[in-house]
Amino acid sequence: MAGSQDPNENPVAINVVPMVDVIFCLCVFFMCSFKFKQLEGKFDSWLPRNKGVGGIADPSTLIEEIRVAMFWDAQNERAVRQLGQRRVDTDQELQQLLKEAHDDYVRLNKPDVPVTIDADARIPWREVVNVVNICKRDQIDKIEFAFGAPPGH
Amino acid sequence: MAKFQPPPVEESVSPNLIPMIDIMFLLLLFFMLGADMSQRELEEVTLPQADMVQADSNTQTGDLTTVNVHHRTDHGFKCAVADGGGVCRDESHWLMAIRGKDYTRDTLNMQLQVEATLSVEPVADPKTGKQLSARMVMIRADQNAPYGLVQKVIEACSFANIYKIQVGAAKPPKA
Repeated sequence: MAGSQDPNENPVAINVVPMVDVIFCLCVFFMCSFKFKQLEGKFDSWLPRNKGVGGIADPSTLIEEIRVAMFWDAQNERAVRQLGQRRVDTDQELQQLLKEAHDDYVRLNKPDVPVTIDADARIPWREVVNVVNICKRDQIDKIEFAFGAPPGH
Repeated sequence: MAKFQPPPVEESVSPNLIPMIDIMFLLLLFFMLGADMSQRELEEVTLPQADMVQADSNTQTGDLTTVNVHHRTDHGFKCAVADGGGVCRDESHWLMAIRGKDYTRDTLNMQLQVEATLSVEPVADPKTGKQLSARMVMIRADQNAPYGLVQKVIEACSFANIYKIQVGAAKPPKA
């Protein structure tokens, strides 16, 4: 592409200045509108096909699940997590406890026992996703979200 | 003594523009390819970060509905909490949008029912006898959105017989 601008050398010399102007304008436009794309991903969380939100568990059946309860501490503006009756403060502790609980069910030949996240509606979404992420780190794929019973139940 | 005057020299300053054009073309190409100009059905939301998130390979959007849960940013709207970087928990400040259109809880239910009928599983579920939707719903909620709103979307999906739900998250930047 490189070549001389001397018209004596190249009799078909074109004026490149307007083209440079246009390219400058385009460059400025794209530079101003440039934004690095955030790498996005997804967690699959299929809803149970045969349950639905309105499905209330039969009280006579024993529910087998690993339940992570999340409460909102309005005073300190933070989420409080509880696994069973035990309060869990750190992510590492939660990961360890979830792994132990899941491994117990695997030993009982029940690897499909889900982790149920029962979170307060005021809790920021990132806290819930954090728990989902911790479950995925432990290779727990079956994660369910708990819903309150509809009125009248 | 007469002052020495050099003979006038006719200078011709014609810089070679071609290398500059080459570089500008390269820059232009870089910015054009890097620019995300596509009209996506995604709102500006700050997704929660999760290192275990699967890379999103859904390039085809034919069977996918994206529900964005985002804070109101319309002109003139002020929220002291969100503007200060805090967690706004006022549900009236949050919107649920599909393809750039905002929905309330009731209208979202209706819209998802419409979306659900666009793609239906060929065989009814043997246990419930219900004809479930094959439509996939991606929930892209802002990291500060109250969980209650996400619950509402999941609930609306369930009522519309949509069971294929995905949750959007962002890969944390590499250290």
